[in-house]
Amino acid sequence: MQKVFETILIGLSTGSIYALMSLALVLVWRSTRVVNFAQAGQAMFSTYIGFEISSRSEVFWLGLLFAIVAGALLGAGVDYFFMRVLFKHANSGPAAVVAPVIATLGLLGLIRSFVGLTWGGEFKSIETPASTNGFTIGDSTIPFSPLNVLIIVTTALILIALAILFQRTNLGLALRASAYAPEIAQLAGIRTARTRTIGWAIAGGVGGVAGMLVTANNFLSPYSLDLLLVFGFIAAVIGGLESMVGAVIGAFVLGIGLTFILNYVGTSLVFIGGFTVLILVLIIKPDGIMSRGKARRA
Amino acid sequence: MIRKTARKRTWFVAALLASAGLFASTLPANAETGVSSSEIKLGITLPLTGAASPGYNKIGNAMNAYFKYVNENGGVYGRKITLIQKNDEYSPQLSIAKTNELILKDKVFALVGPLGTANFTAVHKSVGIAKRKVPSLFLNTGFSGFASKKNYPTSFTILPSYAMEAKIVAQFIKENLTGKKLGLVYQNDEFGIDALGAFKDAGVKFDVSIPYTSGTQSAATAQTWVSQLAAGGAQVVVFFGVTSATAPLLAVSAAAKYAPQWILGSVGSDPLTLRALGVPVAVLNGALTPAGNPSPNDTSDEYVKQFQEINAKYNNADFDDYVLQGMNIGLMTVQALRAAGRNLTRAGLIRAMESKGSSFASVAYSPLGYSKTSNVGHTGYYMAVMDAKGDRKPYGGSVVLYTTDSAKGPVVKSNFKRPAMPAKGLPTNS
Amino acid sequence: MRKKILLFIVLGWVLLIVGDRVDELRVYQGAQIAMYTIALASIVLLTGYSGQVSLGNGAMMAVGGYAAALTLTNLQTPIWFAFLMAVIAASLFGALLGAAAARLSGPYLAGTTLALAVGLPAIANQFTFLGGEPGILFDVGFPPERLGEDFTQYKWFFWIASSIALVALFITSNILSSRFGRTWQAVRGNALAAELAGVNSSRWKILAFTISSALAGLAGAVFAMNISLVAPGAYSLALSFALVTGAVLAGISSLPGVAFGALILVAIPEVADALAGRLGDADKLNNYLPGLIVSVLLILSVIYTPNGPGENLRKLRHKRKAH
Repeated sequence: MQKVFETILIGLSTGSIYALMSLALVLVWRSTRVVNFAQAGQAMFSTYIGFEISSRSEVFWLGLLFAIVAGALLGAGVDYFFMRVLFKHANSGPAAVVAPVIATLGLLGLIRSFVGLTWGGEFKSIETPASTNGFTIGDSTIPFSPLNVLIIVTTALILIALAILFQRTNLGLALRASAYAPEIAQLAGIRTARTRTIGWAIAGGVGGVAGMLVTANNFLSPYSLDLLLVFGFIAAVIGGLESMVGAVIGAFVLGIGLTFILNYVGTSLVFIGGFTVLILVLIIKPDGIMSRGKARRA
Repeated sequence: MIRKTARKRTWFVAALLASAGLFASTLPANAETGVSSSEIKLGITLPLTGAASPGYNKIGNAMNAYFKYVNENGGVYGRKITLIQKNDEYSPQLSIAKTNELILKDKVFALVGPLGTANFTAVHKSVGIAKRKVPSLFLNTGFSGFASKKNYPTSFTILPSYAMEAKIVAQFIKENLTGKKLGLVYQNDEFGIDALGAFKDAGVKFDVSIPYTSGTQSAATAQTWVSQLAAGGAQVVVFFGVTSATAPLLAVSAAAKYAPQWILGSVGSDPLTLRALGVPVAVLNGALTPAGNPSPNDTSDEYVKQFQEINAKYNNADFDDYVLQGMNIGLMTVQALRAAGRNLTRAGLIRAMESKGSSFASVAYSPLGYSKTSNVGHTGYYMAVMDAKGDRKPYGGSVVLYTTDSAKGPVVKSNFKRPAMPAKGLPTNS
Repeated sequence: MRKKILLFIVLGWVLLIVGDRVDELRVYQGAQIAMYTIALASIVLLTGYSGQVSLGNGAMMAVGGYAAALTLTNLQTPIWFAFLMAVIAASLFGALLGAAAARLSGPYLAGTTLALAVGLPAIANQFTFLGGEPGILFDVGFPPERLGEDFTQYKWFFWIASSIALVALFITSNILSSRFGRTWQAVRGNALAAELAGVNSSRWKILAFTISSALAGLAGAVFAMNISLVAPGAYSLALSFALVTGAVLAGISSLPGVAFGALILVAIPEVADALAGRLGDADKLNNYLPGLIVSVLLILSVIYTPNGPGENLRKLRHKRKAH
């Protein structure tokens, strides 16, 4: 019984990080109809900035703050200087369908090379903001630490902040409106292009948090966030790519599910488990668990 | 002897070249590929970028630093050594492409210290190392499959194989840790499979056994290993895998206050890399590891002291096991080149390795197994204990060396005394 | 048709001559170019014609490579049979994946195939008969003796790879210029209209996926021959990305372009090496420059010539739409 409990706790911590990445993907998808593979690169870059700040100042939170800012700026920059140009040029012909996807891949490679040129390929690690020593219950110590709590709490705070932003503010309304019906939103006087850039900025900031939190428990290299991108994507697909709530639920389902596979089946089946979930969702409920009507096509 | 040239010409030109080669070989001037009167060109492929690069990416620069030192002190019979490093990102495809460049375009004389099991397997077959008779010295992998003079006639290993390592660990457990509950975490590829067989042969049974797939290691995965080990009550845990898996395993164990007697395989136990991965150094305290070399911090060791000086002057990298290994490969390469004589040829180099290789000075404590019938380098380990700073000392205070082979041979304690470091680290052998 | 056969025969003859004139390094690179040509043709068919984005072509190549290697090592068959098995295994696998893929619009498919490419090593390591990390040797043997003692191994690879590539390209070009190619284009352009015209669009998409996978599998087997090995590390995510890059650079819907794309893929590392040498020999520069060049090329070409040399065609169609 204790093992089940442990598994769920760790799954929640893992799921939190997936949730942030998957939210970042969904935010961009809703506004731009692009699955942004460069998100892993943007998050990695932001985390390197966070690493620089936190290792100089020896304050994790300052690093996190800078990672968010860097992520937001980079996200906005990518949309403004890159996606707009792309959509202006590659808007018809056989490549129109594939151009955005491929462009984000190119961007991932570009950011990776840039990070490699700047910081090199060595593993970096960030001072953890909280102890990684597990809690002791009775006379046994469980592999669930204050750091895990911190990850869950930070994620929860960000989710709440996003919920308030989207439900209670004009900006949130504008973001939602331009995601669901861009033409109508435009007619209603919303500057959809600017709103979209803001959406990218939020996604970038959230991705930065995901990168910092996952690195706090692990290490950083130009390749260290690739797996996070894949799991974030799977979580987003479980949620249907459209729904932010769905993405978060999908992430926790995936996080807990994979931790169960880890604890009860074996490490080598984790990835295969994740992939199987992805295929099953796509076959049984391709519009995700949150779908009501038919999802829009790209 | 007809030399295989890289350029493809017509029959006529080939025949001309061949006779020219015959003629040239009788002259004192040297006409071997990659060797001129003033230079010897060597090549290495290794991961300089990519997920597998940390640690390994320091080996090439360390070798280069040693060669620079030798070059400034007269080179090898007046020839200066040039080392060409090529980045293969640990991908077999790139290893082949880059080795092709080394052999066909840069025309190196020999390969030294190429890295990676799959990488060298692919390179050896596709590039045709044996057929082209290119010497490949000091392969940086412990895969026991390379220990075959028949299949790899021009290649020589340096590290003791994973199989040897596991046999020695098994022997050590039988001698020192009987009656304890045993756990094993291993990467289920050539690291682990070799190890598994060796433990089985030695009659060591594990109460908890956890295989993992390369690439799946992470903090989350490690948490599950730890809960399984703790649940099984393992008091001694043997680990055979790479450093990126050791790191989360030890970190998570420290977090969960699970402290068995660790026995870490040599591949995954470099303290500096572990520290760079954020492992609290204290968890290493008391961990056992089979080791071939002295600690890179042991300045009382004549080899380490000399290499550190060279590193400070020519390389300026953090001096760790990888740098030590790179320097040592450099040292052995220079001895091999000297042993091959002034009239340097590929065939001569291989003959020299076979006839004189076993007497080379090397930082590792165990004997070298090179002979006419064996391409195996070091053949043994001692067990070391790590301290709270991540430094290692021989278990029990002094080095107890075990030697063995990769097959069914026995594990024996050995009194072998390694040759002394050549004065100033500059070999004078011939 | 007869003209096309003649063209391919002339092409083969030119390759034969060129293969005899250049040095061994170039001969090996030629074999790699032939391999990439087949792999890129598979992407052109899938993405350029049928409009589906797959980032998992490396995985499909792996299926072919492993099938061929297992056939060769376990059954000791002739080489051609190993290549045939590669095609069969990959097309079966492709049909399965295509069935799932046909229901997916662009981004879902891209993400799913990406996940496949990332996860492939884990899957390959899962089963011991696949040889784990070190992989399985794939040995097509030495060239036949009657070709002469001077006939190198690489030349043998080059001959095999080029012949396979020529045949594969010939077949592909015929498929693409037939009713198949036109139907795919129709489904890609407007699936709804195609459905109204009585075309079962998902069946056609599955067919495209199957044929494309067969080509990728074939390329995977040729790749295995060139590197004499199948191993998870060889069919990496980087390979999948490189293929997409090559296809975009070549013009994603242009079959003749694939040879150009393949040439670039092989040339980039060398160009980058030379460039890095010129810019000063800093370690970091050497290591990350190739990636930088590839990414910049990919981004520039996807923005400015998204449809490759067939750009004019696109503009024409654009004009017609405007009317």
